[in-house]
Amino acid sequence: MRKLLVIGLDAAPPRLLYEELVGELPTLGALIEEGARYQLKSCHPPITIPAWAVMTTGKTPGELGLYGFRHRKPGAYNEYWIASSRSIHFPQTWDILGRRGLRSVIVGVPPSYPPRPIRGYMISCFITPSNEVRFTWPPSLKRELKDYIFDVVFRTNERDKLIQELWRMTKRRFQVLRMLSRRKWDFFMFVEIGVDRVQHAFWGYMDKEHHKYEPGNKYEEVIKEYYKLIDEELEQLLKEVPKDAIIVLVSDHGAKRMKGAFCVNQWLADEGYLKLKEEPKKPGMELREVEVDWSQTTAWGWGGYYARIFINLKGREPHGYIDKRDYEAIRDQLIRDLERIRGPHGERWDTKAYRPEDLYQEVKGSPPDLIVYFDDLSWRSAGTLGWPTNYLRENDRGPDDAVHDWYGIYVVHDPQGTIEVGEKGIMKIECINDHLLELIGV
Amino acid sequence: MASEGASGKYTTVSIPVTLYRRIKKLIEDTGFTSVSSYVTYVLREIVAAHEMEKGEEPFTPEDRERIIEKLRRLGYLD
Repeated sequence: MRKLLVIGLDAAPPRLLYEELVGELPTLGALIEEGARYQLKSCHPPITIPAWAVMTTGKTPGELGLYGFRHRKPGAYNEYWIASSRSIHFPQTWDILGRRGLRSVIVGVPPSYPPRPIRGYMISCFITPSNEVRFTWPPSLKRELKDYIFDVVFRTNERDKLIQELWRMTKRRFQVLRMLSRRKWDFFMFVEIGVDRVQHAFWGYMDKEHHKYEPGNKYEEVIKEYYKLIDEELEQLLKEVPKDAIIVLVSDHGAKRMKGAFCVNQWLADEGYLKLKEEPKKPGMELREVEVDWSQTTAWGWGGYYARIFINLKGREPHGYIDKRDYEAIRDQLIRDLERIRGPHGERWDTKAYRPEDLYQEVKGSPPDLIVYFDDLSWRSAGTLGWPTNYLRENDRGPDDAVHDWYGIYVVHDPQGTIEVGEKGIMKIECINDHLLELIGV
Repeated sequence: MASEGASGKYTTVSIPVTLYRRIKKLIEDTGFTSVSSYVTYVLREIVAAHEMEKGEEPFTPEDRERIIEKLRRLGYLD
């Protein structure tokens, strides 16, 4: 039986960690250079929720019935529920270990609010509403976590303040991690969400190909500096970790430059799929704020890092318009139309629209009728209306420079030297759970 | 009604002797060092699962609003 430490860096891409920054990060660099390196293939959709849940259960988003942060409540156009720890109905890595009496420390692995009883310690993730609620297992652990910070809000123009908050959050988290690392554990896993936030906020300042990039700008090095902070904190943490523990470095998906946001509902309205009774009065209005003629609407969409398309199906929706016998033909037509969308300058896009059953063997919960990635995720989906164009260079809800990407990182480092070092190819995110259990030896 | 144990944090419940023996055998060579720690672990899991089945909303209405606003500002709900 081996002890295992999993360092989760939300959204850390191979490009930064395996290539551009590896030489400047002594601790992370050593783990990467002296570890087995994989390109981690994320799930559909490559989003924080469901990705970490897929990783820690070995189940697909279809089996989990988790397709993002929110899900439709059946029978209502505008109601939805938010994913939480209670949305996961399969044992997670630490549950499997707990049943064998092994102790875990779990910090910030989404979605882990409300915290569930485990054999060991748990601190919930960034979906925790506030520090007022119960956010630890055991509940008494909370008393030791004064000033704990779950997350920062990155969509702000106050960049300097954001940097301060990011640094404060991460330093505090590592303080807590060091404290917990001195307790009894067999499996220790944490996720630092700050990596995702710093990339969303500062990618355009770093990436020379980003449309917002200006050479020599003040924030050019912020992402690099943040990884250096993680590196320094990790150096301190590793001093507390047993020398024979296997160390795993993992992200849930990658990141790349955002080219813009595509207004999916405006496009659906342009194409006649969505019928509005009125013109939106101002830019940025949500669909629920605009009167929709559901009696003539074929489909509507949701925004986010990918688009979800719902068909206004008779018998399923309150004012269904599409007959069941036409459903597949409509979906086929939508796929053809979506995949034909071109960019703002008429350039060809690599858009993919999938039926959930094409992606998952089992499709539980309330999936969308189509899952759409505009230009291979480079354009995010904006659900809001009232814009003068369907192509927004800035995001529709405040500054955001990065989108998600298919490949993350997965590194296994064994100080005992039992694992062969070097490039190992691709590891699917749904295979990680079994791989971790195998490394531990259960 | 169960009486409080000496520490004030633990109390005693009764289980059949045969079940006790089966558990004792089951936890040999695992991380569980006593039948009590195993029983506590299993009960916590089952109680949490039953609480989930009762369908309690994980978020109060105010917390839900707070989370939705936050997720929106994080770009997950546009």
